[in-house]
Amino acid sequence: MNDVCRREPDVRRAAATNGWSSELRSHAESCPDCAAAAAVSPWMAQFAALPDREHRLPDPSVVFLKARLLQSTAVAERAMRPMTSLQVAAYLIVAAGWAAMLTWKWGMIDAWLHRFSPARMVLGATSDSAASLSITFFAALLVLSSVTIMVALHTIMADE
Amino acid sequence: MTADLMLLPATLPMERTAPPQRAPRPMDEARFEAFYRAHAGSLWSYIYRLTGNRDVADDLLQKSFFRFLRANPPAANEDHQRRYLYRTATNLAFDHFRETKKERGREIADAGIRVHESADLRHDMMRVFAELKPQERVLLWLAHVEESDHQEIAETLGLKTKSIKVLLFRARKKLGEILKKKGLAS
Repeated sequence: MNDVCRREPDVRRAAATNGWSSELRSHAESCPDCAAAAAVSPWMAQFAALPDREHRLPDPSVVFLKARLLQSTAVAERAMRPMTSLQVAAYLIVAAGWAAMLTWKWGMIDAWLHRFSPARMVLGATSDSAASLSITFFAALLVLSSVTIMVALHTIMADE
Repeated sequence: MTADLMLLPATLPMERTAPPQRAPRPMDEARFEAFYRAHAGSLWSYIYRLTGNRDVADDLLQKSFFRFLRANPPAANEDHQRRYLYRTATNLAFDHFRETKKERGREIADAGIRVHESADLRHDMMRVFAELKPQERVLLWLAHVEESDHQEIAETLGLKTKSIKVLLFRARKKLGEILKKKGLAS
């Protein structure tokens, strides 16, 4: 059932060129596959022969150059992938660091910021709560700020 | 004589000392240009008949060659390289059909308007071919124009060789019916 008729290529060619032999024609009439092939072959041959040559194909040297450029870009992107992952990890760590610090000392930061409100400044209120902002906090603030600046600078320079 | 043959080692010395196979060298520009000039025209015609759009044909032709160069199939067998190219182009064309599925109806309608206006033989034939499904177009083009056998067509479409006979028969029947309906076949 699944055997391909060996005469099919001959039938296709004969139908396309109208070069039938009587034997081949009688075979095509008795073989359903060949009959189907013969029915469409002249049209397919005419369709394939439609002139396309007026269409200018892209220049091979341009295609070759583009292909090489795309390949180099792909290689560069592949090489940059670990760096990009590292960069994303750095963003996440910095963001988490800031969030942790703000959560940890929010009460004291809030109180310290309120020292600069006009009312408190006029009254000359004491900075009892601000005093509790330890050196550790300021050191952590310094470290986080430095890391943030470094990550930002790295991002800008990498983009350039 | 027979005894001598039986004493021969299973592996010949040449085979034993053969160096390990290296990755094929990338195709140089001159070889690529020769290959491109030999196959780009027919490949463009194939993609154009499949998609019915010159710009898309240009784009997919270039993408097919980009992928061909990246994959760097063995240069020893040009027929294998040609088949690789057609398989790649067919996959790209099918991707294009999937991406533009929603717009396809509109494209065909536009094509219809152009056909009516120009009444050109090319457009008439393109319109007939566009009535077939993409897979049917591939089957008919490869069988009738590229004269590929069923195994090659199966490789290009990623189908079993056994199913090609039935699919090709149906595609031919369908095209035959369309041609009869339009009075283009006896």
